[in-house]
Order: sequence, then structure tokens, then C-alpha cells
Amino acid sequence: MKRNVAIIGCGQTKHSSRRRDVNVAELVSEAVFNALEDAKVSLREVDAFVVGNMPGFGGIAQPEQWLGDSIGAAGKPVLRIATGGTTGGSVGQGGYYTVASGLHDVVVAVAWEKHSDSKEAGATTGLLHVGLANFFHASAYGLSLKNLVATSVVGAAAGVAVYQATFYMYRSGCSIKHFDMVAAKARRNAAKNKYAHLQWPGCTPEDIAKTEIITYPFRYGHVCPASDGASAIVVAEETVAKKKARQPAWFKGLASYSDEENQLQSENMGGVGVTDPSEQRGAWLSAMKAYRMAGIRDPQKEIDMAEIYQPFPSQELIFSERLGLFDEGTAWKALERGETDINGRMPLDPSGGVNATNAIGSSAMQRILECALQIMGKAEEHQVPKKVHNAVAHGWGGVTNYTTVTVLGDSPGR
Amino acid sequence: MAYIKDERPQTIGVEGTWILSAYHYKGSRLMEEYVKGLKKKKFIGSFCPGCAKVIVPPRNLCGRCHRIMDGRKTVSDKGTITCFVVSPPIFKGKLKVIGMDPVETGLIKDGEVVIPVFVKFDGSDSNTDTILLNADPKAVHIGMRVKAVWAKKPQGALSDFEGVEPL
Amino acid sequence: MRRRVAIVGYAQSHHQHNMQKTREDMVFEVCKEALHNAGILREDLDTVVTASSDFLDGRTISSVFLSMAVGAFMKDESKVEEDGTFALYYALMRILAGSHDVALVEAHTQGSTLNPHQVTCFTLDPLFDRQIGVLNDIAAAALQARMYMNRHSVSEKHLAMVAVKNITNAAKNPYAHRKMPDLSVKEVMSSKVFYDPIRELTMSPISDGACAVILASEEKAKKFTDKPVWIEGVGTCQDSYLRDRNIENLDSLQTAARTAYKMAGIKNPLAELDVAEVSEKFAHEELMIYEALGLCKKGQGKNLIEKGTTRRDGSMPVNPSGGALGADPVCATGLIRVIEAAKQIKGEAGRYQVPGVRRALAHGQFGICAQKNTVYILGGN
Repeated sequence: MKRNVAIIGCGQTKHSSRRRDVNVAELVSEAVFNALEDAKVSLREVDAFVVGNMPGFGGIAQPEQWLGDSIGAAGKPVLRIATGGTTGGSVGQGGYYTVASGLHDVVVAVAWEKHSDSKEAGATTGLLHVGLANFFHASAYGLSLKNLVATSVVGAAAGVAVYQATFYMYRSGCSIKHFDMVAAKARRNAAKNKYAHLQWPGCTPEDIAKTEIITYPFRYGHVCPASDGASAIVVAEETVAKKKARQPAWFKGLASYSDEENQLQSENMGGVGVTDPSEQRGAWLSAMKAYRMAGIRDPQKEIDMAEIYQPFPSQELIFSERLGLFDEGTAWKALERGETDINGRMPLDPSGGVNATNAIGSSAMQRILECALQIMGKAEEHQVPKKVHNAVAHGWGGVTNYTTVTVLGDSPGR
Repeated sequence: MAYIKDERPQTIGVEGTWILSAYHYKGSRLMEEYVKGLKKKKFIGSFCPGCAKVIVPPRNLCGRCHRIMDGRKTVSDKGTITCFVVSPPIFKGKLKVIGMDPVETGLIKDGEVVIPVFVKFDGSDSNTDTILLNADPKAVHIGMRVKAVWAKKPQGALSDFEGVEPL
Repeated sequence: MRRRVAIVGYAQSHHQHNMQKTREDMVFEVCKEALHNAGILREDLDTVVTASSDFLDGRTISSVFLSMAVGAFMKDESKVEEDGTFALYYALMRILAGSHDVALVEAHTQGSTLNPHQVTCFTLDPLFDRQIGVLNDIAAAALQARMYMNRHSVSEKHLAMVAVKNITNAAKNPYAHRKMPDLSVKEVMSSKVFYDPIRELTMSPISDGACAVILASEEKAKKFTDKPVWIEGVGTCQDSYLRDRNIENLDSLQTAARTAYKMAGIKNPLAELDVAEVSEKFAHEELMIYEALGLCKKGQGKNLIEKGTTRRDGSMPVNPSGGALGADPVCATGLIRVIEAAKQIKGEAGRYQVPGVRRALAHGQFGICAQKNTVYILGGN
């Protein structure tokens, strides 16, 4: 008999490009205490913590050992999970397993990132170091500098996303104007989300199309920002959840399948066996497992909304198909029909998504958090108009290697 | 929330560093075999005896079979473009690569367009990451046939394989 | 616990100073061997949890190139960024939750990539301690040693006795790094001083190593092997930061041990445990660990080492494999202790086997001055 586990409270900080009013410990405690307040849980009732971020950005190794005291973790079990871009999703899933195991009853899961602590602007510092070791290795064998220019043009994490987008356009027939539409929708939705970073009320695809092209098919207007922020959820088992929350957001299914590596290169600059960068079979398998656990047979009918991890607009279309929300190659048609708008049939990223707010460590956690807010009815201005029974939250990272899929619902069990 | 400290508009900055060049990474010896092949204008890939996949440049492990890819296969130097990206024209002062401006150092011409591509060489099952040379950016398409461009004086280094050009 | 979970297979590398293998190859070999040891195939795995550290490996997302090597292709995988005992804890929770039955846990560090002691500077409070630039994990441990020794009249000779016990034990362990079968107290006390009273031979060596453990739920475990090693109790805890805690005690270890004992139904650890494998990165830590585990009263750790109680032929052997003083591949150390404890229960410990082991304790730590600890109680059939 599986234990029923739910999210009973959520807390976020305001995300902006430079939160210079707080240091990282204060940033994280802001999120944790907002979550505890929302859940009506005191620190004494918390049994354990699950934390995570990407250490390469802030330059602190094992930060929870220092900032654990600011979040009340001293004297309690603390688990640190770090999986690149999916960190937040993995931390959220870690929170589920910690309670579902029966060893703990109330757990706080918090994920964060403070990009403004890095010297280089945006997300360059940490991301560069993913493959830097391989570059040192290759330069010992006479890597040509012209190839290095090509790589710089394409960029580290943006790199594989550009290839993905090109391939998706080829596979499905969509065009750059669909990416403009997704980016505009994200910024419009973010304007209704008081914690989001890039807020642009009334943004239109034409506004986005005016921005310069970085590398076809991405414009400056498409790219996600690098934000400072933290997000936290309080996870509890059934009896506590029913007592504390009027409408808890129940964990119904989850999975995080690992794909073939980083689709630009494998270890020691070897090749990779996947020739279609937009295939992402790990995402599809994770979704299948999560839906099976949740008892969902037809996601197109049974899922009410989704929060997709889309730092680039092409990924909203690609992953919504991988998660089974649209048939292969048709997501852009649904976008044209307005189905993915906040008041549409299948709202995607009503919070603005990662395209509008990207504190890398925390953004996958925010997807789980936003789905929970929608189920609990607490999303305020960006609450979708229809009743949300089942929602799916997605995370992507490890440069195409990792995916996390979490299905939340308004009632436990099938 | 009462736990947040009293207002102070700005934090003070303190510095720290993470010097990656101080690390002693370990690389495999596969690259040596590969560059020896490049000197002879051949692409050597690793072959998995379990699933028969061929990966170029060679890698040691097949994740699907969870075994060492100890076979070797030479693949053709002709192939198909599986994916491509077209950069905007790169002007002087626009881009910095490891601290240098590539136009100033003469790596590329002012206003030149760089086209990074994924190529699947005939006989290989993997994408090889390289650049497309001597081509009209408007003519590039997925499925385009290309062949390798070799350096005039091969030295047994990765730079012997300069890129691909349309067949 | 909601389900019974057992260790059904394990493997470790030959830990050494500068392994001539890439980390991917090292990890691959260890995982392949663990699967072979358990007699199962990669297809039988449900989930994989790895432990490694970005700062120690020198790459962001240090596990991104390892998922193939570990055997996690198309498997539900996650990564913990601390000692292997925490990865084991997460894998255990995944099985207890009911959605997985078989898990592979892997941990590794190649200390030769960058001196792990230098990396500990990055774990310090970045605003003050790191800027002053005086502290690192050895300096902090030296402060802890001095405070403990002054409080309980422990002499340097006691520390040397711990070192001699463990390093001579390691000489019989084919996987250990530092083997000195004829080591004497005199030799330890004349080895190079790092930060007084910590000497080269009273602190762990910098090793390259990896290890892997396979866990299975009860039904599967009984199918795979007739000698499963059951996890009877577990506890974990994290202390306050270095400057905010009393480093004379290992409080988080005490809390973790109490939780584990309660779960396993142990009231008198000294009598009910047959062997203990602990992670002692410094010799004085082992004496403090005896006290925190409740094997003796506060301050009496020195008595246990004087009387020889914790020698391999004593009544409460501690670290017959040599402990961390024998080999310390940072993130793998704790998980290796779990493997060594399981080996003792299965009777596979060869020349350092303790006779008649039915129940064992394994301990892993992470952080400066053992800031966080995990304790496992393992038992045979």
C-alpha cells in the first residue's frame, strides 16, 4: 500500500536579475519561511530537509552546510540533490520519496540559484564548466580554434537547444513565428505572476519579432533570463495534509529517466548515439511511467494543464508532444488555435514558465510548485479559469540527459 | 515574514574563485587512435559488439549494452547533414572566444557567417560535431550530402579535420 | 520500516593514489562488478542513485557524463551530492516508497584530480571564513582534536594507537590504499606535522576510488541470494555550521545513531553489535565516534583503545578493514564502510574477518569536522 503524499504549502522569492538586497542564505530562508507560512507548519513540525542548487554558479561547495542554520535545518536530516537543470525537479521528487518512504512525515524541499553571484553575466560560468574538462582534453590533441568559434556561436546549453529547434522545425513544419508566439505568451502570463522575472503585460508576437536574431531560429526575445531566486514546498503525509490544507496537491506519479548523454558530446569528446536532438526518448519514457503510476490513460483528455520546462520556446512545443499532450508534430497547430493560452483547453505554463523566469537550480522546482498552486487554487492572478484535477510538471537538464516528470492531482490515489 | 532581517538596500560584495585549470583531469587514450586516423584522412569509430552501433569520434562505453565498445570501424568521409545552425554575420568586436576576437586574430573574415553542423558520416550511427565550409548559407538543409575537408599538411591533430563541404 | 530491504551485491575498486583510469572507466568497472556480484542484469534494475561532488570532480553536473557508465540509460536516476551513505539513504527511501524494487547505488571520487583538502575551503562560509583564508578541514580538525584532548586528558599517544590499529588492519585488506603492516606508535608520532596535533599518519590519505552497492526489496532479495544483508536501522542528521556548533562533540552522529538504534531495537550497542565500520578521517575522530555511538561514556574513548577493545581480536572490533585511514576516496568512503560491514556479516572478509558477526554498524560522514552523519545497522539472517 503506497503512502499518500501531498504538497501543503508553497513559497517563492521574487525573482529578478540581481537580488543584491540579500545574500544567498537570506534568499533561501525567504523561500523556506514563505512556504512554512503558507502551509501553516512550524519549524518544529518539520522532520527533514531536501535541498539543491547548482554549485558551479554560486561558487560555494555544499552550501547547505553553511546556510542550513538559516533555514532551521540544524539537528535534522538534510539531503542534498544536484542534477543540473533538473535540480529543482529532482529535489521535489526527493521530497516525495522522503515522505513516501515512511521514515519522515513532514519535509521541506527547497531549491535555489543566485546567478548574480557569478562573475560572468547570465548563466555562462557554471554552464561552461560542464564540458570544459573535455575541452582541455581536446586542446591537448590540437583542437582547431575555428571549431571553438563555432561552439561559442552556438553556446553551451543554448547550443543543443538550437539544434533541437532546427530539427523540430524540420520534423513538424512549424516556423520561427510560432516561437515568437510562445515567447510572447510566456511574458504575458508572467505579468500576472508577482514572483516572475520578465513581466511584459500585453506582449505580442510582433513585439518579440522586432528583437534581433542571435542564431537562427532564436531571437533575443526568445531567450530566458538568468534570475536570482529560490522556491520551496512543504510535503506531508496524508493525515497531516488533510489537517493543514483545504486542498492539498497530491503526488500521483513521478519518474526521472536518464537519456543518452549530452547530445553534443559524450565523455572524453566521444560521439553520441542519438542523431535526432529533439527525440528526447527519456522524456517520453518518464511521462509514460508517471502517467501509469497516476492511473492516467489518456493524457490529452485527463491532464488539465502543464508546466513545461522551456528556457527556449521551441521546447514548449517539443516537450508538450513528448508528454503526450498533443499528437506528434501538432503542438504548434494547437498554439495557433489558442489552446495553450491561460484560458485555453490545455494551458501551458500559465506562470510564464522558465522562458520568463530562470533561476536554474530552482526552475524545475517552480514547475512543480506552480502546478500545486493551480490545484490548490492559490495562483491568484494567473490561476487558470477551469478547475484543475490533474497537472503535469516537467523538468529538463543535464544538457538533454535528464528529465523529471511529476503528475499532481486534487485527490490521492486513482 | 518576521524572520527576514531589517531593511538594508544593498549587500556588500566579497570575492571568491573556482579555478578549473588547477584540476588534473584524466582523459582516455581513445583520442590518440582517432587523431592517428585523421592523419591518414580516415575516421575511426568505436563499434559495440552488443548492439552493433558505431560511434564517431570513438567512445569507450556503450550505455545501452553496458559494455566496452572495443571494436573499431572506419567510416566513410562522406555523409549527410542531420542538423545545422546558421550564425548571423560575425563582425569585429561582436564575439569573444577565450578572450580573443576571432576577426582580429584572423580566424574568420569580418562579416563571415559560421555554420556549425551535425554530420552523420555513412556507416556511423552518431552525429559528429563540425562546421560547414564553402557553402551558401541559404542552400544548407537537413539531408544535404557533404564530404570531409582535410588540412593540407596533416599533423595527427584534431585540426586535420577542418570541416565538411557540399558534395 | 514499511518493507524489508537488503544489500544483495557490492563491489569496490582497488583504492590507490593516482589511478591510471578515467573516472568513467573506474565507475563502469565497479558497477559491472557489483551487478555480477549480485548475479543480476542491468535490466533488473529499477533505479540508480549516484554520489559525487562537482567541486571534487571539477565539472558542473559531475554526473552528466557518467550516466552511461553507471548503467542508468533509460533508468530512473538521481544524484546526491555528498557521501555515498546519503545516496544509499535516498535509494533506500525510493524502495520503501514502493515504486521501485531494485536499486544500484554508486559513489566515487578521484582525489588526484584536485587535493580534496583544498576543496574544503569552498565549503566554508563565503563571507567571512573563506575570506580570512586560515581554515580548511585539517585546520578545523586540529582545533577539534586539541579541544577534545584537553577536555578529556587524551594524549597524542592515544591518537597514534588508533592510527596503528587501523593502518595495520588495512594491510590485510586487498582493496585498501595505505598498507603498513609493521607500523608502530613511534613511527606515527614522528611523521610530518600538518596542523598540530594532526600528523600525516593520523589523517586519511587522498585516494582515487569507487564503489557500488545493490539494494533489493524483500521479495526480490530472497530470489537473488540466500545471504541477504538486511538494513535493520538507519539514521541521519546534520549539525550546525562549524563556528556555530560545539565541535568537541559529534552531536549529529549521536542523534543519527539513536534513530538507527531505535529502529533496529538496539538498547546496548556495545553488547548487541558485533563489529563497527566507521568513517574516521582523523584518528581523534574515531575516539569521539566511540562516544557518540554510545560504545562508552563521554571522554572514555581513550579507554577503549588502551584496553584493545576495538582491535580486530577485541570484544568490539572497530574498522577491521582499516577504515578511512586505510583509504579515503572522499564521496565513496562511507559506502565502502557499508560494504565492509556487509562483508563481515556474509563471512567474505578474508584475512580480516571477525568471527561470528551477526549485526554490524556502518557510518558515513561529510562536511568539516563530521558535520553530517549517517548510521546504518545491518544484520544477517
